[in-house]
Amino acid sequence: MGRPVAIIGIGQTKHGRRNDVTYPDLVREAVIAALKDAGITPDDIDGVVSGTMPSMMEGVALTHFYFADALRSVGKPILKTETCGTTGISLAQTGYYWVASGMADLVLVVGSEKMHEGDSQATMSTVADPFWFRYFIAGAPGVFSMQAQEWTARYKIDEDKVRDAAARVSVDHHKDAFDNPCAHIKVDISMDDVKESRLIVYPIRLWDVCPNSDGACALIFASAEKAKKIGGKSAWVKGLSFCGDEYWYGDSDKVHWECAIQAAKEAYNMAGIKNPRKDLDVAEIYNPFTFIELLHYECFGFSDFGKACDDTLNGVFARGGELPCDPSGGVLCTNPIGATALVRVAEAALQVTGKAGAHQIDGAKLALAHGLGGASEFNGLMILGSKM
Amino acid sequence: MGQKVGIVEVAQLAGAETSDNYLYQVYRVCKEVLDKAGIRREDVGTVVSATSDVFHGGLSCANAYYWDAGAAFLKNGTRQDGESLLAFQYAVMRILSGHYDTALVVGLCKGSENPDTDSITHYMTDPFYQRQIGLNETVAAALQMREYLDRFGITEDQCARVVVKNLGNALRNPYAHVRRKLDVDEVMKSPYVMTPLKEIECAPKSEGLVAVLLANEKKAKQLTKKPVWFKGFGSSMDTFFLGDRDLLKGQITNAAQRAYIMAGIKNPRKEIDLAEITEPYAFQELLWYEGLGFCDPGGGGKFIESGATERNGDMPVNPSGGVLATNPYVSRGLIRLAEVVLQIRGAAGERQVERKVKTGLCHGTHGFAGQFHAVAIVGL
Repeated sequence: MGRPVAIIGIGQTKHGRRNDVTYPDLVREAVIAALKDAGITPDDIDGVVSGTMPSMMEGVALTHFYFADALRSVGKPILKTETCGTTGISLAQTGYYWVASGMADLVLVVGSEKMHEGDSQATMSTVADPFWFRYFIAGAPGVFSMQAQEWTARYKIDEDKVRDAAARVSVDHHKDAFDNPCAHIKVDISMDDVKESRLIVYPIRLWDVCPNSDGACALIFASAEKAKKIGGKSAWVKGLSFCGDEYWYGDSDKVHWECAIQAAKEAYNMAGIKNPRKDLDVAEIYNPFTFIELLHYECFGFSDFGKACDDTLNGVFARGGELPCDPSGGVLCTNPIGATALVRVAEAALQVTGKAGAHQIDGAKLALAHGLGGASEFNGLMILGSKM
Repeated sequence: MGQKVGIVEVAQLAGAETSDNYLYQVYRVCKEVLDKAGIRREDVGTVVSATSDVFHGGLSCANAYYWDAGAAFLKNGTRQDGESLLAFQYAVMRILSGHYDTALVVGLCKGSENPDTDSITHYMTDPFYQRQIGLNETVAAALQMREYLDRFGITEDQCARVVVKNLGNALRNPYAHVRRKLDVDEVMKSPYVMTPLKEIECAPKSEGLVAVLLANEKKAKQLTKKPVWFKGFGSSMDTFFLGDRDLLKGQITNAAQRAYIMAGIKNPRKEIDLAEITEPYAFQELLWYEGLGFCDPGGGGKFIESGATERNGDMPVNPSGGVLATNPYVSRGLIRLAEVVLQIRGAAGERQVERKVKTGLCHGTHGFAGQFHAVAIVGL
């Protein structure tokens, strides 16, 4: 399966409301951090991969032109990868394939979003087709609300239990974020705070929802030869996958969610993972909504179907649990969409290289990173390991 | 790069406006290429598409909309934004990595359902400086053309010849959008849209649905008797602000050199038999001749006068009619590739060139005055 590929440089901006920088400067901040982390210069880079959310969210079409200088891509080959919310995971995969193909040895991969300068939910509504969906779907919460309710009904999970488990996820992640210097929302809230917060779309309440963040993330992918030559700790790509459902929401089963199940299967096979809950040391799930994180535990085989709430309430996925999920605070605390799934890969890479600082999971050797996109239509994974 | 990647089949739909539903068009072009290769959707390894959001399709995350129509249901797929030759490069990478033995590449743009190109390219400007002055690709091209005429003494007549050649070639291409028999005088009478650029020297806005099936060496030989092989690829990005660039010394040279090195080409004028290039503005074809090394800098005007790039010349350029005839912004690069493949196979019908074609060049560009260029070399 191709040449071994490593991540040798990781750069993230401080995420949040970044009125102090322009959009290209935000990109530049992540690029400089990644180059510095790898100990290389822009001249060493063979190619650059850039991506964001759609132009409507950016206010600029084809952002790779605008960012050309900030990406340090002038005079270099580029690829512009965009797949919706999954953009970040697709970016990482583009970097992987570029190196694995032998067409490049060092690739800079950059995802970014300056959400306070756009209108994310208006943009999301235009993911819906102009003839049918657009009249019904107002942004992301509507989609996830339907999915959460369908899941609760299918397995006849007690509504209070689901509510408690989702609140547990929210409380834990918002607390975890204090240990992540790049995270956006850091608050100490109680289960009751979550359960009594403003209703967005039933059953989703304010503290079940991710924020709008400005932020960028950059990673450097390298061939084994280059990784060795440059030195330093590397995270190795052990498996990757991407899978897409039908476009029409009603046509597919979003509980026994085929694209999520199949994506996990494909990545696990490649990485030789048989029992994900045991084999993985940490997972960075793309969790823009608490309920969606719970559903992914089941589709990814961390929990049996219908059992994610019990496992969560038993602390299986908490920081000290059997399989810690989103110790960074996850998407729930930090969501610069075009960068968000790439941040999951960055966090997984930090974990397996032992560089996650205060939110390090001790001894993490195998980590999962995940991206979710479309109208709950796309799932993509990348598995990173500490050894080649 | 020890392995080979073969182009198995190509398919395209006509560039003229149609009332056909977009999803149906996507389905048709994918079905056609798979039928030609004699394989089922289930047998395709991965799907890489090229589209652009909102302005080019009325949708955000357009890849979600056509995902299943585009043969990718429950498959590992991805998308490139803006330039379809990049989707080709990425699909080649996916095969070379050893993960897939076949890859479907599609370029999709329903030009008839979205605004004119200038309105769209205007939004490539930064919101603070360039947007206020109304910059778009046509304005940038007019500035570039003025510089070209002034510095190298290229004449408007020479630029007009590109229109005569390409729209004339389009008469033989059933997929072409605009086809006209013109002479230089008629082109010269076309009104200026932005001096020195004339209306007829600017590409139209077209439909563009194109699909290309790739396979590794073993699979390609199983699927077709006439594989055309991937030989080389190069691309390069320029700096953003127009004023910071020499508009006549762009990144096309860099992109071409990378592709030539990978393909082992030392003398492009001799070793390349035919080229399909992206010339949304007539004069750019002359400027790109120079950047691609077909002639010396400043020699583009004389080169077209020599007749070498005519359909029956010794180095035909754009025998399909090029982008001046058919311009679906995002898909146009991949259409260049499909056309070169047809010429190499001798399957280009009425637009087949007279000379034998063994090695062809495909070129794509987008951005102000060619901010980004990509070059692919394919051959026997």
